[in-house]
Amino acid sequence: MLDCALKTDKLNLYYGAFHGLKDVDFCVYRNAITSLIGPSGCGKSTLLRCFNRMNDLIDDVAVQGTILVNDEPLAGIDIIELRKKIGMVFQRPNPFPFTVRENLVYGLKVHGYNKRRYDEILERCLKAVGLWEDIKDKLNTPAMSLSEEMKQRLCVARVLTVEPEIILLDEPCSALDPIATLKIEELMIELKRNYTILIVTHNMQQAARVSDYTGFMLLGDLIEFGETSKIFTSPADERTDGYITGRFG
Amino acid sequence: MRVNPRLTDTLVRHLLNMQAYFTVGILVIIVFIIFIKGISNCSLSFMLTYPEDMGRHGGVFPAIVGTIFLVALSILFATPLGLGTAIFLTEYTKESLLTTIIRFGVESLAGIPSIIYGLFGFIFFVIKLKMGWSLLAGALTMTIMILPTIIRTSEEAIKAVPKNLRIVSHSLGATKWETTVKVVLPSAAPGILTGIMLSIGRAVGETAAVIFTMGSSLRLPTSLMESGRTMAVHFYILAREGISMEKAYATALVLVMSILAINIFAYYMMNKVTAKYS
Repeated sequence: MLDCALKTDKLNLYYGAFHGLKDVDFCVYRNAITSLIGPSGCGKSTLLRCFNRMNDLIDDVAVQGTILVNDEPLAGIDIIELRKKIGMVFQRPNPFPFTVRENLVYGLKVHGYNKRRYDEILERCLKAVGLWEDIKDKLNTPAMSLSEEMKQRLCVARVLTVEPEIILLDEPCSALDPIATLKIEELMIELKRNYTILIVTHNMQQAARVSDYTGFMLLGDLIEFGETSKIFTSPADERTDGYITGRFG
Repeated sequence: MRVNPRLTDTLVRHLLNMQAYFTVGILVIIVFIIFIKGISNCSLSFMLTYPEDMGRHGGVFPAIVGTIFLVALSILFATPLGLGTAIFLTEYTKESLLTTIIRFGVESLAGIPSIIYGLFGFIFFVIKLKMGWSLLAGALTMTIMILPTIIRTSEEAIKAVPKNLRIVSHSLGATKWETTVKVVLPSAAPGILTGIMLSIGRAVGETAAVIFTMGSSLRLPTSLMESGRTMAVHFYILAREGISMEKAYATALVLVMSILAINIFAYYMMNKVTAKYS
């Protein structure tokens, strides 16, 4: 049960001279939700972005140490395959300014799926994010005309189309209202059955509500990592305690 | 003494209104005069018949065809080249001495008077490359002339595409090229189209550079290596050489109407594209 879909060993990351991640040993367990919490700038998003190599898009980033994806070194995986296997949902809902359908088939086109499978995949993914009933007659309307919550669901569906194993969510609810947030959280719990999920959040209640494991980061260090219930009830490190009880952060 | 801010506000509003009306007014007056002077000689047969006696009689059919060929060819040459340059400058390279030099070159190219392009085209394409006065030499010269417009407008349009669209495309496993072709260019299409429209306007209206490179033959051009005449050149020659002012105005009317038609068509297309996506 407790095997790691993603694992890091002595992971260090530098933005130029800035030491962004310091000797991080971290594990994302399969078919569970793992959350990363910590104050702004602690490196939680940076760590998340290591797993699908989004940090590559930034100049002057150097990564040292090992990252394993299903026990396989990340460095040896083709970047296109890696990003197919590990999908990502961003902070702000960011559908392409195209139609709903075009948004959903984008990944399929990129990865060369057979066109005949499009409709079946679209239906499956929209059902998985609970949008199918609302949107099945609106596939050719602009994605930008949807509500923020629906846009974010669409973005999750867009990730699901290419059949990832792992989904990274980078503060996926921070642009949403509380009700939409709850719905997205329900969606995450629903998705956990088939996917491994890593979520970065600055909302501690959210981490407590949805995640099975929680990591607390501070200034590039992974201070503490363990079962969510333990982190939130009896943290081992006083800095974790300080953060979750709101003494700083 | 303090100026009353409400009074200033009112005055400025009226002044700005007047300025806007003035601009539109000039356009209306120009079109109106051309319309009044040209309409009596302008008809469908004028557009579809060949000129006689240097254009004193008959129509402007070869000039219309010549204009279409010249514009179509130069857009065909300049768009891939200009768009490619814009994509290179925005997506495929970082700001460096090289991009500064390229941008400076493009700016300079935009500032050169068209007669200089004509002279260059004449020396290089017509004489050196032995193309003679021809559609091809004209189109290549026009290509160089409209290139800066296409590059600059495309570059601005591409830069205006939000960065996060590129990032999310990469996160879905798309390569840089796929991202450029499938996300960036479609999003930038309206802006790019505007640049192409501006270029068409420039090419349609150009005379000096065209006379030097495409010549001014009144025959219907049937191959790339033949000389021909555009409507603007035809108008210029009719008026300049005192052949027929009536026919000159009629030609101008056809010219203005076709530019108007192209613009309306472009706006229609642009609205169709944007309506689909937002």
